Amino acid sequence: MEVHISTAEQILTTDGIPLKDSLKKTERRNKIKAFFLVFPLLLFIIVTFVVPIFDMLGRSIDDSQINEVYPNTFEEYRKWDKQVEELPPEEVFKAIYFELGYGEKIKIGRALTRMNYSKSGWKSLIKKTQRAIKKDLKSEVVIPSYKDRLIEINEKWADRSYWYAMSQMLNERTPIYYWNALDRTYDKDMNVVRQAEERRIYIKTWIKTFKVSVYVTFFCLLLGFPVAHLLANLPLRYSNLLMIFVLLPFWTSLLVRTTAWIVMLQQNGVINGVLVWLGILSDEGRIQMVYNETGTLIAMTQILLPFMILPLYSVMKVIPPSHLRAAANLGAKPFTAFIRVYLPQTIPGMSAGGLLVFVLAIGYFITPELVGGKDGQLIGHWIAYHLKTTLNWGLCAALGAILLGIMLILYWLYNRIVGIDNIKLG
Amino acid sequence: MSKFFKTIIAFAFLSVLPYSASAEVTFVSWGGAYTESQIKAYGDTYSDPDSIIFEPYNGGLGEIRAQVESGNVAWDIVDVLPSEAITGCDEGLFEDLSDVAWAPAPDGTSMADDLAASGVTIMPPCCAPQIFWTYVAFYDPDNFPGNWGGAKPEGIADFFDVGKFPGKRGVHTWANAIVEMALVADGVAAGDVYGVLETAEGVDRAFAKLDTIKDHIVHWSAGSKPLELVKSGEVVMSLAYNGRIGAANMSEGENFEYIWEGQVIEQEYICLMNGAPNRDAAIDFMIHASSSESQAEQAKYITYGPMRASGIDIIAAGEPWFHTGVSVLDQMPNTPDKIAISVIGDPTWWADNGSEISERYGAWMGN
Repeated sequence: MEVHISTAEQILTTDGIPLKDSLKKTERRNKIKAFFLVFPLLLFIIVTFVVPIFDMLGRSIDDSQINEVYPNTFEEYRKWDKQVEELPPEEVFKAIYFELGYGEKIKIGRALTRMNYSKSGWKSLIKKTQRAIKKDLKSEVVIPSYKDRLIEINEKWADRSYWYAMSQMLNERTPIYYWNALDRTYDKDMNVVRQAEERRIYIKTWIKTFKVSVYVTFFCLLLGFPVAHLLANLPLRYSNLLMIFVLLPFWTSLLVRTTAWIVMLQQNGVINGVLVWLGILSDEGRIQMVYNETGTLIAMTQILLPFMILPLYSVMKVIPPSHLRAAANLGAKPFTAFIRVYLPQTIPGMSAGGLLVFVLAIGYFITPELVGGKDGQLIGHWIAYHLKTTLNWGLCAALGAILLGIMLILYWLYNRIVGIDNIKLG
Repeated sequence: MSKFFKTIIAFAFLSVLPYSASAEVTFVSWGGAYTESQIKAYGDTYSDPDSIIFEPYNGGLGEIRAQVESGNVAWDIVDVLPSEAITGCDEGLFEDLSDVAWAPAPDGTSMADDLAASGVTIMPPCCAPQIFWTYVAFYDPDNFPGNWGGAKPEGIADFFDVGKFPGKRGVHTWANAIVEMALVADGVAAGDVYGVLETAEGVDRAFAKLDTIKDHIVHWSAGSKPLELVKSGEVVMSLAYNGRIGAANMSEGENFEYIWEGQVIEQEYICLMNGAPNRDAAIDFMIHASSSESQAEQAKYITYGPMRASGIDIIAAGEPWFHTGVSVLDQMPNTPDKIAISVIGDPTWWADNGSEISERYGAWMGN
């Protein structure tokens, strides 16, 4: 076609510009307009979403602050042959002596938080030492051996475990937080080893988080499927009523629902009370259903249930009833018709609901925190703890990054197996 | 632009201006009855009550560090736990106030000496003292279990003795105080607890003692929970913040019984944010809030004890002190007789060992 259109034959607008160009121009102007319309939103997403995520990823490998405080000490430290000498050589002591003596108080203070995480006790050791060194510097005493002087200030300087812990801080870019998040740490020669047994908590929590999320998703599907089916197939006046029952808890405050579950589940709560009254349980045999993993599972399943029901419902709503009738017409028994005709058509809803519930569950914080008690805490608990209390943001970031990584892997797997186009929210 | 709009905009500016001109100090605290008591005791008694804005937060240094790091400091004064006061000061999140002239006690005693009289020798240099609060065990005598044979739990050792006092125990989900209590229950003198905890064996010993009640513990994480647990009979004894028990006893007609022996006394500080927008006004208010009189005043509304020894004296002289006209000293955690049988929480030890112990405690709970 295009071959035949010569310049002479081009259609011109009234002002003599070829129509094609004119259209292009208008289109471009519209695109720019559209871009400016969404620009605030884009900016918002970049500022509140993209930047923080990259900031977090950056923090999870960043150890530059402490390297800024102790550059000489670390340099000398690397020369220490741990096989030959029991304690670091005099140069290391000298370097840290002066870096503590002349370093900025606040910078050293910030580094302390990080040092203390590698080994408890650094905090008071450094602070006490720093005070003594400042006095030394003021009085201008002559110090023959910095090693002896530091050990004189505090005998912990002769404790090798402190020096060994320093191996974890030497690099400005470091994977140590990721290792910590997986119950691993460095030994004195920077080999990755397992954390001391009583501190191994993260892998266990990861597994638990994963397990709870899978269970919650499964139970939501199990409970949500029949409800969604009913919702989609009942006459309107009944289904509307039913829909209110689904949405009402959804609109109720999370805290209220969580607390309600405590009232129901606790040992002197409603359920145990009824079971004892009915004689099913003895008074001593009341079941512990809350302040443990069971409580977390039950409460989270109920709270996340609407996120399963609603996508399922919207998908089921548009499946024509004639399909099932056609299947029956062709000789399928109701069960076969359901499995082979109805169920495959609900897969987009199941996957949307499943993914939603799983994603929400894996990062859930407040409900496990309240009903989790001794063993129902998920990984969110530790992220919040390190964010607020220990200020170990490197570890927080690493835990968060792993969570993000898990989600991305899941998404990829999901895309491979089900296909992301098959997801349907309505 | 129409004249109408111009007028509106002019008014809008005018109404905003006075706010941005006058220094309004933002005082951030834990909320609830506690902040309420601070508003009444510090805010209402201040020379310019309207200049102080009280805001709640969830504790921890996370938000504080985020504000200081981003250079976007919105708060002036923050109410923090002692180990956070120390860490925040080390990190430069709070401003050093060593040179501030704090209000002396009515008899002229300096604040440092006044605090030392209460057993606090190290004060974080960025902060002013607030109150003592405690982790204390309690039970409900109206709900007395029949299988206790009429005996009453009297010390923390009884809390750890499920043979003599069968039943569940309520314990919080973090390690603070429970570790110290375990050692006291195991026979360590209250004053030696942190000395013992310095060694790895000491920590093992505390956890070994915890093992003995592990299967009898119900863990709570919100401060209101222990009262519900004990009231409903879910547990027979629980640890709780003493102020919550005091509030239930004094304002809600409850009859809870404290087990003071072996309680862990914690400090509470108010600190000045580094880069606080209204620094000078904030310091002035901090001096007022940490005066002996203000601290005693607070005890009219909540049963947390003044950190300054002279505060307790003012209360003792003014009994019945509580705003409802009842006596308050019985519910106060830090009268001299109670201090003698308590562990004074050591924030320095917690600042040092907190994260390791917390991880260990978390692992212990989950096993």
